[in-house]
Amino acid sequence: MLSELAMTDRTAFAIGAAIYGAAFLLGLVTLLLRKPYSRAAMFALLTGGFLMQTLGLNLRGAEIKACPLGNSFEIAQFISWSLVMLFFIIGPAFRLRLLGFFTAGLATILAGGSLLVPAWDRPYPPGIFGGNPWIELHTALAIFSYGVFAILALVSVMFLIQQRGLKKKQFGGVYQYLPSVQQLDLMAKRLLIAGVIVLTAALIFGAVFWVNNLDLVPVFKLMATCLIWLGYLTVVVLRIQKKLVTRRHALASIILFVLAMASLWPVQSARGNQPTETTEGEEVGFDILIEPKTISSLRLVEDNQPYLAAERLIQNVNA
Amino acid sequence: MSDVLQSLFVLGSSHHEAPLEVRERFALSEQQTRELQTKLSEDPDIRECLVLNTCNRLEIYGLAKSESEFEVRVREKLCESQEIDRELFDQHSFWHTNLDVLQHALEVSAGLDSQMVGETEILGQMKEAYASAKDSNSTGTVLNRLFEKSFQAAKYARTQTGITRGQISIGNVAVDLASRIFGKLNKSRVLLLGSGEVGEKTAQALKSRGVADIAVSSRTFENAHRLAHELNGSAIDFDDFIGQLHNFDIVIGSTAAPGSLLSKDVIRNVMRARPDRPLFLIDLALPRDIDPAVEDVENVYLYNLDDLSTIANENLAARKSEIEKAREILKGHAWNLWLQLRRRELMRKS
Repeated sequence: MLSELAMTDRTAFAIGAAIYGAAFLLGLVTLLLRKPYSRAAMFALLTGGFLMQTLGLNLRGAEIKACPLGNSFEIAQFISWSLVMLFFIIGPAFRLRLLGFFTAGLATILAGGSLLVPAWDRPYPPGIFGGNPWIELHTALAIFSYGVFAILALVSVMFLIQQRGLKKKQFGGVYQYLPSVQQLDLMAKRLLIAGVIVLTAALIFGAVFWVNNLDLVPVFKLMATCLIWLGYLTVVVLRIQKKLVTRRHALASIILFVLAMASLWPVQSARGNQPTETTEGEEVGFDILIEPKTISSLRLVEDNQPYLAAERLIQNVNA
Repeated sequence: MSDVLQSLFVLGSSHHEAPLEVRERFALSEQQTRELQTKLSEDPDIRECLVLNTCNRLEIYGLAKSESEFEVRVREKLCESQEIDRELFDQHSFWHTNLDVLQHALEVSAGLDSQMVGETEILGQMKEAYASAKDSNSTGTVLNRLFEKSFQAAKYARTQTGITRGQISIGNVAVDLASRIFGKLNKSRVLLLGSGEVGEKTAQALKSRGVADIAVSSRTFENAHRLAHELNGSAIDFDDFIGQLHNFDIVIGSTAAPGSLLSKDVIRNVMRARPDRPLFLIDLALPRDIDPAVEDVENVYLYNLDDLSTIANENLAARKSEIEKAREILKGHAWNLWLQLRRRELMRKS
């Protein structure tokens, strides 16, 4: 049914990003006019963007027959999608003022920014997860945890702004619409713990596969992910021990999120350069199994672009 | 046709016309207000009347039967009944008629005429005065319409302009700041040091916003006990309060101590016991009770009297900048009301 839509996945992503941008602009303009924005309008716009992004992810998923998390573009889209979804859960429950505005801003950067870099949306072989649902779950959970850390970073930014306003005795403007420092701090703590739990679960699912296929997981990817997890885990422990609280906790959350985002690109590169073969052969689409040796030899010819190589092979087979 | 409305009047005196010492002499008790209301209602030349008496104004709204000489009679009645010197009252009072009455009533109800521009207490006081006059059948179609419409217009002007934006009293500014730190205050505990008046008012403002509890500590334990009783809180021995400081979220300094009571080291030690819970310190004492260096301690927010006054004054200035906008809105409402009243009068006559 989705394939009958006269819309490509990228168009849906673009419309979604534009709606997020409109939500951000709405918030910005009303705040500059020193008025509170309409929560209903913000919620409606974010819902519109979220629906378009969901459509885009569905179209992409239907095309590749898996969860669309195969390249940097899809990961950025999935993180912003998770971020907005978390806003829908947290926003109405805790009524954190201005969270919608900040969420719209970050979602615009992630969803819109990834559309502006075509190289991020490079093709990859279908069935990138090797038909293993646990790996798919591992990836989805890991990226979802990044969505949690994204909203944690936003809450931390809001905390720092409010705290600065209070310390510098600033009263008007954006400060009067931000939630209290205690609310933001408490929310940051909850999000941090939730994010670490999700990431830990993702790593446990990934570890089951890794233990059985040591050669197939890129070392850099493994190290980067574990370091990020370790970083967040350390913050959780220090937070529980009340050794890293309030301002330093907020700064740590922002820095770790930036590092987590920065690590995605090398992780993606490492995965792209790593052989993705399995012992039983790799499914690259069109119901054809290609022998690992064949793929390895093709990779040499096609300069590490197995998807193109596989496509050519399929064309030859069909011919 | 317009005769009836030409005899619509308001006689009064407010902070604009009279200084505090004069207003004190004009002030009426509740009983006196009721008596004056009755006296005016019994006057055969006055069709409708309403007495508005607040700490900052005494006003008589009315509708006379004819235009002749009723101003002098109303003035005399007021001064006689309250034994006010007529000459003094004439010097410090105003008299409006017709459309000006409508504009004045609307501005008073919207808080534009108040000493603290935009304050909302006046609307409640006007509603009470109106209910009382209506109960005693002193008002009729014109004043009923005037007051009901003025309440609506006041609400509209408040929502359409910034005349009520921001707090303008020290106590309410402190409450706003506490909300920015703690959100809801129902779990916040307050410690009031000393028994200064501003401190007490600030504690009362916090209490009205539902703080969990209030404790008072003063050098004179009797004072602390009395104030604690008034605030429905508890008293703490002054020699003991530092040891219990970590249990409180908001500390108000309002003593007459010659030097600082709370040094940076004391607060740093307190914060070791509660690193993840913010501490809001309000220093209302002169000389100050809290060392300004305390500001550098993480998760501590210190505001002194000057800081709170600056915020209150900024808010007041912002409100004042909205006065003209609100006045224009109310002018439109006053004109509409005037036309409605005239149309009714026409229909009544025809």
